[in-house]
Amino acid sequence: MARIIRWVSKKSGKKWIHPIDTPLDKGDEIVKQVGTKTKVVGVTKVFIPNPLHPIVPYHVLILQDEHGSRMPKKTMKEYKIGDVYEDKPNKDENAIAAIKIKYDYLEAVDEALELIGDVKVTAKTRILIKPNASIPAYAYLGMCTNPKTMEALIQALLKRGAKAENITIAEQSFFLPLEKAAAKSGLPELIAKYKVNYVDISQTKFEEKKIREFTFKVSMLPQEFDLRFNVPVIKTDMQLGMDGAFENLTRFLEKQNFLEFAKNPKKAALALSVLPQALPSFITIGDASIGAQGNGPGEHGEPGFFNLIFAARNPVVHDAAVAKVFCLRIPPYIELAGKLGQGEYDIKKIEFVGNEYEALRRDVKQPIGSALLKEGL
Amino acid sequence: MTFIRGVGMTKFGISDKLTHQMAYEASVEALRDANMAFDEIDAVVCSTLEFFQSIEKQRHFPAMLSSMFRTHVPIIKVEAACSGGGAALWYANQLPYENILVVGSDKLMTMKSEAITDEFMMAAENRYEQTEGLNFPSQNALVAQEYMQKYPSTTPHHLALIAAKNHANAALNPKAKFYQQPISLERIESSPVVCSPLRLFDCSISVDGGAACVITKDKADIEIAGSSLYTDYLPTFERDDNTSWEAAVLSSKEAYAQAKVAPEDIDVAEIHDAFTIVELIAYEDLGFAKKGKAWQLIEKGHFMKDGKLPANMSGGLKAKGHPISATGLAQIYELVKQMRGLQGERQVRRAKTALAHNVGGAGGTIVTHILKHRGAA
Repeated sequence: MARIIRWVSKKSGKKWIHPIDTPLDKGDEIVKQVGTKTKVVGVTKVFIPNPLHPIVPYHVLILQDEHGSRMPKKTMKEYKIGDVYEDKPNKDENAIAAIKIKYDYLEAVDEALELIGDVKVTAKTRILIKPNASIPAYAYLGMCTNPKTMEALIQALLKRGAKAENITIAEQSFFLPLEKAAAKSGLPELIAKYKVNYVDISQTKFEEKKIREFTFKVSMLPQEFDLRFNVPVIKTDMQLGMDGAFENLTRFLEKQNFLEFAKNPKKAALALSVLPQALPSFITIGDASIGAQGNGPGEHGEPGFFNLIFAARNPVVHDAAVAKVFCLRIPPYIELAGKLGQGEYDIKKIEFVGNEYEALRRDVKQPIGSALLKEGL
Repeated sequence: MTFIRGVGMTKFGISDKLTHQMAYEASVEALRDANMAFDEIDAVVCSTLEFFQSIEKQRHFPAMLSSMFRTHVPIIKVEAACSGGGAALWYANQLPYENILVVGSDKLMTMKSEAITDEFMMAAENRYEQTEGLNFPSQNALVAQEYMQKYPSTTPHHLALIAAKNHANAALNPKAKFYQQPISLERIESSPVVCSPLRLFDCSISVDGGAACVITKDKADIEIAGSSLYTDYLPTFERDDNTSWEAAVLSSKEAYAQAKVAPEDIDVAEIHDAFTIVELIAYEDLGFAKKGKAWQLIEKGHFMKDGKLPANMSGGLKAKGHPISATGLAQIYELVKQMRGLQGERQVRRAKTALAHNVGGAGGTIVTHILKHRGAA
């Protein structure tokens, strides 16, 4: 289903598409209204491309919900006025949900979870969330996971019955003490606000796992949890091509182990292609609200306002789909992971829910310095 | 009371001049027309959009105009998307200065069409409209669709008649992009669809250009008898009814009241025809036609040169061209010249009372000016 979100004044009935914290009129109260039964009340076929919408023709529908609220929706499919519009959840490993954030991060994350078949959560479910907070940079620079996305995920889990004391956020930095690396990420404030647990992965126990020719020393922390979320910020990367689900898992490695791999970028990429096999499974929530483009972190990359949340059960599906949406070459280590049977990387076989692949596609600035992208593995 | 003493404009089209140079050219013409030296100007109100993707890379337009005019008088910029020129005149009219130069200028043609679409789209709401591909042609296409659903006697043929009228007028206007280039009704009706149901010739044309006027508290031949600006919600999908734009209704009502005239007193009008449907609904919103009945007047030639109310004798945005912030002041230029009987082949029979209707975005800002000829100063 498509969600149409409004903030409504109890007094006047006025509606806003923007979240309203404080009522405009004194003594008023604002309530959030979410419509889900949508039908098409307008449709136009657009033949004019622009950088955000390079593939034409496309259609813009005007959807109207049970409350009379409306919103536009881009699609490559033909609809008629009067048609019902709905997105059906897809639990498949090959599925990825792609949701545009309509000012409200909770609704976007919540819808993304719902569209991949949702997650079963009880008060006893132990939940691990692994963001990217390894570089000391504010989220608006696209270098770390947006705290709004993190907060939305916490709220979505609490809404489903999770207890804050059973939620743990874990990260490590290979270059700085974690408290310094994560200082600008907004994580410390979130952890204090929701009273969730916070773990520095470097302080956890590690075990050796041999996958193919690679020996990984991986944290044993994920094994303690029933439900695990990998929440990378989506960035281009001069070395890897793109940072997504796979790259974010590298910080479950023991530091020396990681640094050994990092000495040889090609070997590191080969190892990265099998790293998920050394860890329990994670649901990926790809944070492309504010990502980075160009040569990426530390190499004059720049923030990109992508305004998207992705969700997928399989990291190969996630990273391959995200790369293709942003017109990037699928990083060779993702292709290899796919070829090794870890997940689907052929975009034709990946099923998009929430938004269609062709309707989402847009260019971002490429990581032109990436030898890996140029030469392959 | 405020009067218009002089008007000026550049030829609209592809110019080798920069934005501030076009502003200068139009201003000098307006000063000459007013028989004034710049030293007599007490303040300047200007409008420009300063496009992000333009090769000019020039901001702080007021100070740039200070450089051009070698002056230290107050210069303030007003921005209201496509209604920047009209809004600048409205704002200048509120100021206490004796003599004010009002100038608008924009340069679009150094950008390729995808970039122009992108730039214009930034005047649409970001999270719903921009991300869902709802550019201005598609917004107005949906307005046309809604209108034709509600009033099925109106067809695309009526929109084509508006385009044909404006092209015929522009062919007689040496300052118009389509000067001496008449476009047949057949060509208009067979032009490609850009956003269904709108065709290429339903859309105005992007050009470079500048326009200016000098207003004064001293009596001059043209009085600004009515000047009104109203706003509306940015996204069109948030409005209950797009077959009428409330800001147009409100601003015209107020302007008529200020000028103590009724719609039937208007002799000649310049109407914001960014898209033919905008001109059509303006006929009704401005009170020239009953709701849903504009098509009857269009068929009768009511808005043609020899009709009861000639509209867009300049060729309008459609065929004279639409250099955004200059557009509202170019409308004033045409009306003043018409009221002075100077427009040669396209001079209308009677032009004592005139109306200018300038729209920003898809009805987000609408300015109405009513001018009266008061005889020689």
